[in-house]
Amino acid sequence: MSDAPHDPGTGTPGPPATPVLSATGLTVRFGGRPALADVSLDFPRGRIVALIGPSGSGKTTLLRALCRMNELIPAAVTTGSVRFEGAELYAPEVDPAEVRRRIGVVLRESALFPGSIFHNVAFGPRASGFAGDLHALAEEVLAAVGLWAEVGGDLDLPAPALSAGQRRRLCIARTLAVRPRVLLLDEPASALDPVAAARIESLIHSLAGDVAVVVATSDVRLAARVSDVTAHLDRGELVECGPTGTVFTIPRSKRTEAYLTGRIP
Amino acid sequence: MTPLATRDLLGTACRLGAALTLTAAIALLGVLLVQALGVVDVGFLAGAPSRFASRAGVGPAIAGTLWLAVLTAALSFPVGIGAAVYFEEYAPRNRLAGLAGSALANMAGVPPVVFGVAGLALFVRGMGLGPTILAAGLTLAMLALPTVLVNSRTALRQVPRGVRDAASALGATRWQVIRRQVLPAAGPGIVTGLTLALTRTVGAAAPLLVLGAPAFVTHAPRTPGDILTALPTQAFTWSTRTEADFVALAAGTAVTLLVLLLTVNLGALVLRRRLR
Repeated sequence: MSDAPHDPGTGTPGPPATPVLSATGLTVRFGGRPALADVSLDFPRGRIVALIGPSGSGKTTLLRALCRMNELIPAAVTTGSVRFEGAELYAPEVDPAEVRRRIGVVLRESALFPGSIFHNVAFGPRASGFAGDLHALAEEVLAAVGLWAEVGGDLDLPAPALSAGQRRRLCIARTLAVRPRVLLLDEPASALDPVAAARIESLIHSLAGDVAVVVATSDVRLAARVSDVTAHLDRGELVECGPTGTVFTIPRSKRTEAYLTGRIP
Repeated sequence: MTPLATRDLLGTACRLGAALTLTAAIALLGVLLVQALGVVDVGFLAGAPSRFASRAGVGPAIAGTLWLAVLTAALSFPVGIGAAVYFEEYAPRNRLAGLAGSALANMAGVPPVVFGVAGLALFVRGMGLGPTILAAGLTLAMLALPTVLVNSRTALRQVPRGVRDAASALGATRWQVIRRQVLPAAGPGIVTGLTLALTRTVGAAAPLLVLGAPAFVTHAPRTPGDILTALPTQAFTWSTRTEADFVALAAGTAVTLLVLLLTVNLGALVLRRRLR
């Protein structure tokens, strides 16, 4: 994978640049019916893409396929292609751990590590051989998610002592500490109170630009508010993908329209 | 719904069970302590076996049991934990691995005396080690191994899947996930399992008797090549004597063994606290 120094994209609307991440014909099976069937989707640099669809539609499977997390499940078989900065992620010589450093994912049931906030933030950078100042890095990423001030700069605070919303943001912070180019978030605001959910939402906004963000959510309102591009998945297939404004106002597909309006097909 | 009267009856039965268990434990300790009361003193702990009950001591047996504990731990812990990590983290999830895993788990139920017979053939005679500390240590390590494996696997399995996934998602390699997250998280549970395996094993007399532990050893073992002596076999030897004085010595030896194992348990407790 190349790590050429280039402008990471500023998130300003303009002519579509080359996508940072690009899936082609991506199919994932866990034995039996594919959980993701022949999905081709581009993820523009620095933008926020929302994956919407009912549970079981393949959102999580797609997220996990983009960072090669599915192969931790013994039964998973992935075919098709994912290109990151033009390089094939599923090429045999590519180290999946290296993939996950470039494409960070915050899983839905992301477990915090037992121990301190610092321990949680430092784990990723240490694993990738980070040689700089871990405390400075921790302060930076915690400030980015708005946690630094909330914990009074106390890195030794045990992570389980945080509130649900704070934990969610700590999970995002520790992923940012690995300095991914793409950030994948699975149901980032689910089961949070409205204030905590709003914090996550504004956080997603603030992160885009530096990184491309992909948000899988069953909350269509969140998708409408937060994303530049929306992709609708249903039963493992990509139903529709386009600019969020268009998808939500004049969807091309009847299935998307039915889903967005809450009609049972 | 269970009728109230039945529930009360069940509650009473459970209370009775708890009371009986407690009584049994107190009775066991009480009987031992009363017998050992006049026996255990500095001379007993430092002295060697003697023809005269009043001069006899368990110094060599204590040294032997300490040797056996160290050897058993050193031989069985790394191998057992390593095997547990293999089965839980690396082994393919297929029938063969499952079969091998449960076969090894069933070894934990094999009676100690069986291991003694195997050790006799393998180490004492086969390798020509004779009835030495080393032969006994190897035998006890074999005895402890399945328990170490089973208990370590249980502890590893209790680490939530989410911790492994989160660590992998942060770009850690498989080994980093195991070394930095899974093993530390399983640490307290593993320590508990190791302690249980060690105390059960080191307290067993049967395999050592089968190996041919001599009844009368007056020199404390200094190296693993020295002749075998240990607290459980010493207690057994004295308990076979008819004189009341020697039976009291057996009780004293048993109490010494108990205190030693209690110390191991306390050490494990401290270690668990630190790992948490």
